[in-house]
This record gives sequence, C-alpha cells and structure tokens, in this order.
Amino acid sequence: MSKVLLEVQDLKMHFPVKEGILLRTSKYNKAVDGISLEIAPGETLGLVGESGCGKSTLGRCIARLYKPTSGSIKFEGEEISLLGANALSAYRRHIQMIFQDPMESLNSRHTVAEIIEEPLIVQNMGDTAWRAKRVKELLDIVGLPARSVSRYPFEFSGGQRQRIGIARSIALNPKLIICDEPVSALDVSIQSQILNLLVDLQKEFNLSYLFIAHDLAVVKHISDRIAIMYLGKIVETGDSQTIYRNAQHPYTQSLISAIPMPDPHRKVTRQLIIGDVPSPIAPPPGCNFHPRCPRAIERCSVDVPQLSASKADSTGLVSCHLVD
Amino acid sequence: MNPQTIKKLRRFREIKRGYYSFLFLVGLILISAIGELLVNNRALMVSYEGSWYFPTYSDFHPGSDFGLGYGYETDYRELQKVFKAAGTGDFVIMPLVPFDALENNSSTGIYKPEAPSAEREHYLGTDTTSRDILARLFYGTRIALLFSIAFMVWVYAIGITIGCAMGYFGGVFDLIFQRLIEIWSNIPFLYTVIIVFSVIPATFANSTRIAILLTVMVLFSWTGMTYYMRTETYKEKSRDYIAAARIIGASHSRIIFKHVLPNVMSTLVTFMPFTIVSAISAITALDFLGFGLPVPTPSLGELLKQGTANLRTAPWIVTSAFLTLVVLLTVVTFIGEAVRESFDPKKFTVYK
Repeated sequence: MSKVLLEVQDLKMHFPVKEGILLRTSKYNKAVDGISLEIAPGETLGLVGESGCGKSTLGRCIARLYKPTSGSIKFEGEEISLLGANALSAYRRHIQMIFQDPMESLNSRHTVAEIIEEPLIVQNMGDTAWRAKRVKELLDIVGLPARSVSRYPFEFSGGQRQRIGIARSIALNPKLIICDEPVSALDVSIQSQILNLLVDLQKEFNLSYLFIAHDLAVVKHISDRIAIMYLGKIVETGDSQTIYRNAQHPYTQSLISAIPMPDPHRKVTRQLIIGDVPSPIAPPPGCNFHPRCPRAIERCSVDVPQLSASKADSTGLVSCHLVD
Repeated sequence: MNPQTIKKLRRFREIKRGYYSFLFLVGLILISAIGELLVNNRALMVSYEGSWYFPTYSDFHPGSDFGLGYGYETDYRELQKVFKAAGTGDFVIMPLVPFDALENNSSTGIYKPEAPSAEREHYLGTDTTSRDILARLFYGTRIALLFSIAFMVWVYAIGITIGCAMGYFGGVFDLIFQRLIEIWSNIPFLYTVIIVFSVIPATFANSTRIAILLTVMVLFSWTGMTYYMRTETYKEKSRDYIAAARIIGASHSRIIFKHVLPNVMSTLVTFMPFTIVSAISAITALDFLGFGLPVPTPSLGELLKQGTANLRTAPWIVTSAFLTLVVLLTVVTFIGEAVRESFDPKKFTVYK
C-alpha cells in the first residue's frame, strides 16, 4: 500500500426516525456507526455483512448519495464528506457505482446509447460524434455488440444489463467504483462472467473497488482485503486469504463455516448463528454481536470492543474481547 | 419510439371500441375545426355579376355589395332566394346548415320553439328564442371540447409541476404544500363561482368571462393531480436509476425532466380522457345552473336547461341536447377505458 486513494475516518450515518403527528425525531437508525477504512489505488476491498448491516449505506455515503452524519471521507487527500452539490460534481467523475439490480438502475425509457452517454453529457465531455464513438468503445470493452446502442434495457438478459451498468460506470474513467452487490441478482453461471469482467477492467484501468456483498465466496474471489461488517460496525478486517483461513472474530468464523463446500464426503462442523440481526435503532449494549455470539462472556454485554491489531495478520484488525 | 410505447399503441388499436371512439372523436374535432364551412349563416360562395365571393372567413359584405339595398351584413339566405327569383345566372351556395348559433330565425316573427323541419332547414328545430338547435349543439360541443382541453392542459401543467416538486424535494416543502392544498380544497367551488360572477362587471367581454371561468375551474381542480404526482415521484425517486443519475452528477432539472417525468407520464396519459369527461360534465352542469359560460354562448347545459323548462311544449330541445351529451361522454369514456387497458402494466399478470 503505497498511497491511499480513499480514507474513511469514523464515518457515521444516522437516519432520524420520525414519529407522531409532529414528526419529531425520537430515535436514530444507526445504519453506519463509526467506520474507518482505507483503499489504495488498484486495490479491491471486499465488504461483507448480512442484510441490513449497513454495508450499502456505507457505499452510498462514500458515493455521496447520502450526506453522512459525521466523520470524514477523504478522496486523494481531499475532504468530500461536507461538499455541496456543485463542488461534488467534479468529484463524481472519480467515484462511480455499480448497482445490484440492473433493471432498477437503468432507466427503461432510455436506449443503451442514451444510458451510457449520459455521464459524458452531464460532465460536458466531447462533442456528439466523439461521445457516439466512446459509447461504442465502452460497449466493446464490456463485451456487448455495437448494435446494442439503439435497444432498450429490457431487451437484454440480466448479465447483459449488468454489463450496460458497468459500461456506464466506467464511462468517466473513474478511479474508484463502488460495487453494491453487483452479482447478487444474477445466475451463478453469469456471476463469474461479471466478476471476471470486473477483474479485467481493474487490471486495464487500474481501478479500485469497494466490493459490497453478502456472499463471502464471491468476495474472496475478487478482493485483496476484506472487511466484515456487523450492525453498522466493522468487526474484522484483513488480507482476504488470511481472513478466509484464520478468522479471529466469532462472527467471521460463522460466516466462513457457512460457505458450502463442493465435496459430498467432507463432514462439516458448522458454527451456526442463532436469531436475527438486532435492530440498528436500538442496538444491544456492549458488543453488538454478543446476543448471538456462541462464545460470549460477561464482559461482552458491558464493554464495547475496539478494533485492535489482529494476531493472524499484520495489517488486520479485529474487534472482539476474546482475541485479546 | 420506445418499443414499449409501440406495443401499448398497438394494444390500443386492438381494443376496437376505444379505437373507433378515438377515430370518431378525432373526426369530430377536425370537423368542428372547419365548422364554419358546415354550419353558418354566411354563404360558402357567392357568384354575382361574374365575380366570385367567399364570405365564410372574409370580412363582412354589406347587402349593397350584391345589389341589395342595405348597408348591414348581407342575409345570404335571402340573397339566395333573390338570385333564384331573378334567374340571371348569379347563385349562392349555402353551408349544410345555413344558420348561425346566435341568430334568431322565426317563421312567424314571434320567438318560440319550433319543431324540426327539413323544409325550413331547421333539422333539429329551434329553441325558445328561435335559434337553430343544430347550430347551437354544434358550436356548443365545439366550445365544450375546446374548453375541456384547455382545462386539462392547465390542470395538468399546475398539478404536475407542484406535485412533482413536492415529491422530489420532499421535507418541509412537501409538508407546507400538503397543508395548503388541504385548506385550499376545502373552499367550496360553486359558491366561489357564484361570487366571482356576481362581482365581475357586465361590461366584460364574453371571451374574458370564459377565461375567468376557466381560471376558477382550474384553480379548484389542480389539487387532485398533485396527490398522484407526489406519490409517484416519491416512488420513482427512490429507485436506483435515479441514484445512478445522481452519481454521474446530473442536476435536479435533468433528473426531473429526463428521468422522473417520462416514467411518471406514461401512466398519467390514462387519466386524460377521464379529466375531459369530468370537465365536459362540470361545464354542462354549470351552464345548466346558469353559472357557466356567459349568454348567449351556445352550450349543451343551456340547451338542457331550456329543454327541461319546455319539456311538454318542445321535447325536441332536450332530446337532441341529451343525446349529444350522452354520445360525447360515452365516446370519451370508451377512449379512456381503452387507454387504461392498453397502458396497464399488469396486463399479463395472473392473480391467484
């Protein structure tokens, strides 16, 4: 890690919960509650967590679709968490996003050409002829035929639609792409195609990814480093191979033991987690994970654990009382 | 054109009842656009002493132009008779219905309803002041259609703008406008119309009065549209393609006009015929009560009013006005049904 592309410090995103006829804010939904992370140029950081743990919210905060409650987001050393709409537009060029459901994220009333050309128009790049050429070029990069330009998103299959979404996201030559579960909505056979496309693009354009997923197997395939998120907080980060082989946090261990193995003879001792994710409106005291943790001790329900150096990995961090 | 739109239009054509109603209404609008050539007391063409005159759309010709001894506008029906009697080769071609909607034409000199008579060319008879009913129906329908289209355009323009802004910007803006709309929609419409028309001086031209009526009606009707637009915009705004547009740095106006509106508008189309129907009904009802279009503007409601007052002595008045209204409203409703049916995204959904 030579230089840091993106640095997030103690980021919080609390959504107000409004109640009563006067819509007074009584509580907050702490979707993202004090997260710090770094991404180097050309690196992929995998962000894993259950549904509702705040991983998409984190991604959207970094993309500045949301204005974070507090904390800092530095992109190439520049603070962007407080920028207004006008100042943001220059920075939009560098951070793009790929969405989960390509049918939802592509406007069905626009043709493929209009969809891919839109970022170029909005950012005032080139003239009409240049943009038309660039659209063809982008289609070629993501592996779609040039004749797709005049067709509409619903005329394509799921994987092809996601390719359109990818073409749009790389149109501006961004440095960082936030991939918000880009393969979760796709068939398994298509998933690997899209993942390989993302890896190829990364090599070709030196992209950094924040790869959000709930499937550890998918993340392992593509990530250099992995961060595990639980209820608005990061519980463990580290090198993807190390995390996979030698997870420290009980939550990570459970997730890894839940990955299906393509071997019928192997006996697996699964470490299952019981119960549901607690509400981020009223998180449990102490460690967020303690009500479901199979190895929780008394201290876990009182003290909030802090991220500290992991024994398994020199660059890794883990937040658990048990590993101290 | 978007293949989805093409598919919808094709489906619309397949619904025969609605499609033919649509063709009928378009035909009616086209005919009424050239209505002066069909229903008018000015001649289509006059041939007099070798030169031709086309008085329909031109300035008025005094009777002296055609050798009649008066300086006011020529009575072309009279002229036709004069030329025929003279037999000099001059002739007058009159429109199909040679009467104007505002013209009193009594055979006896006393203004009273007269029964339909092909011989006198009053094909649907005359009303209580001896005006041709067919002419009044024709121009009344034309005014009702024009009025309701203008009404629809304004209601949609205001309703879409405010509703969309409420849904898109949300928050305090939305809250304030919601309360304002609730207060506003509690003001009784009919009383307002009565008060407004009793206050404006009689010296105002009829076109001004019609414009005021239109304004009052629009001001009391745009609120309904905002409810729909507001929720639809809220719904569209939270979808990912809007997030995708924001992430590339698109401005609010670009997002609203390029993304939100086109997606909301397609369902809005299905309301249009029903808005027209309600506008025609509303203006007819107001005319019937006497608070609508100012006299002597021809209108269906005014004919209905006359007709019900003279139901025994002149049943032809109410019959023709009633039938016209029924046909008009049915046709527009059929179109509305067909539009709704063909634009329904759940066409192929099966409920179990």
